[in-house]
Amino acid sequence: MAQTNALNWFLHRITGTFLIFMLITHFWVQHYDHQAASVTHEVVTEKNEMPDYPDEAKEGVRARFGPDAEVTPYQVVMQRLADPVYAVLWKGFNILFLIVALHHGFYGLNNVMTDYIRDPMGRLIARTLSWTVALGLLIIGLYSVITAGW
Amino acid sequence: MAVDTKERPTATQNPNATAEQESRFQPYRIRTGMFAWMMHRLTGVGLVVYLIIHIWGLKSLSDPETFNALIAKYHSPIFKVGEFALLVAVAYHAMNGLRIVLIDFLGWSPKQKKLFWTLGAVTAVIIAVGGWPSIYALGEWLLGPGSMPTLFL
Repeated sequence: MAQTNALNWFLHRITGTFLIFMLITHFWVQHYDHQAASVTHEVVTEKNEMPDYPDEAKEGVRARFGPDAEVTPYQVVMQRLADPVYAVLWKGFNILFLIVALHHGFYGLNNVMTDYIRDPMGRLIARTLSWTVALGLLIIGLYSVITAGW
Repeated sequence: MAVDTKERPTATQNPNATAEQESRFQPYRIRTGMFAWMMHRLTGVGLVVYLIIHIWGLKSLSDPETFNALIAKYHSPIFKVGEFALLVAVAYHAMNGLRIVLIDFLGWSPKQKKLFWTLGAVTAVIIAVGGWPSIYALGEWLLGPGSMPTLFL
């Protein structure tokens, strides 16, 4: 147990450092890249109204899905995740990102909970519950990433 | 490491103080480092909550209609505010975390105050530059199209 905690403490620092670089990539791709960003700087107020995309994104989607393809958020994301070769790279990145983020987040959450829950039984319950949630999220995340674009 | 705490009155000085001392939380004197630690916890817990919602939302990737509806929702004004708040939390947590890792792995240094304020400045730049699209979007929506400077968009 003591050794596991030392390893987790060490991993927490490693995953944290990794997350800085992964988050930069993730934020850049989702929010700032003109071709790949599915979340643009546009506010949409009407129901069922879709955000408008830059020309780079429209060209990218049409090059991949045909000249008549609709440029919706889903298609923009699928430029990366539906491509048979390129997708392996992005799916691999996303799976690694998912595991690293979940470990970092839930190990940190357990640190916080251990500080405030003093009763050993309470700690055990909190730990079991939180890691169960993490496992559930890992399964949901893996499924979503792997099957995207199939 | 010694923790800076507020002085407590002795039981003889004030008999009413005993009840207060039985409280779980010792009253700490909040200084820069303690404030940084508190914010790190607060943003950390907030980010875990966000992570749960975010991964849950990924389920919609299996259906184009649902996914588009979700992303359209992310483009509503309230989510643009949330997007900015998320960036603030992430930038703070990342830069303060980097500071913790540097101190843990490279050792304590007399230059730690310098490190603190340097990373604080970096955080401010990340928030300003990275958060500009969100502020721009909210400005365009509130004040009308063309009212915000485009800058580096």
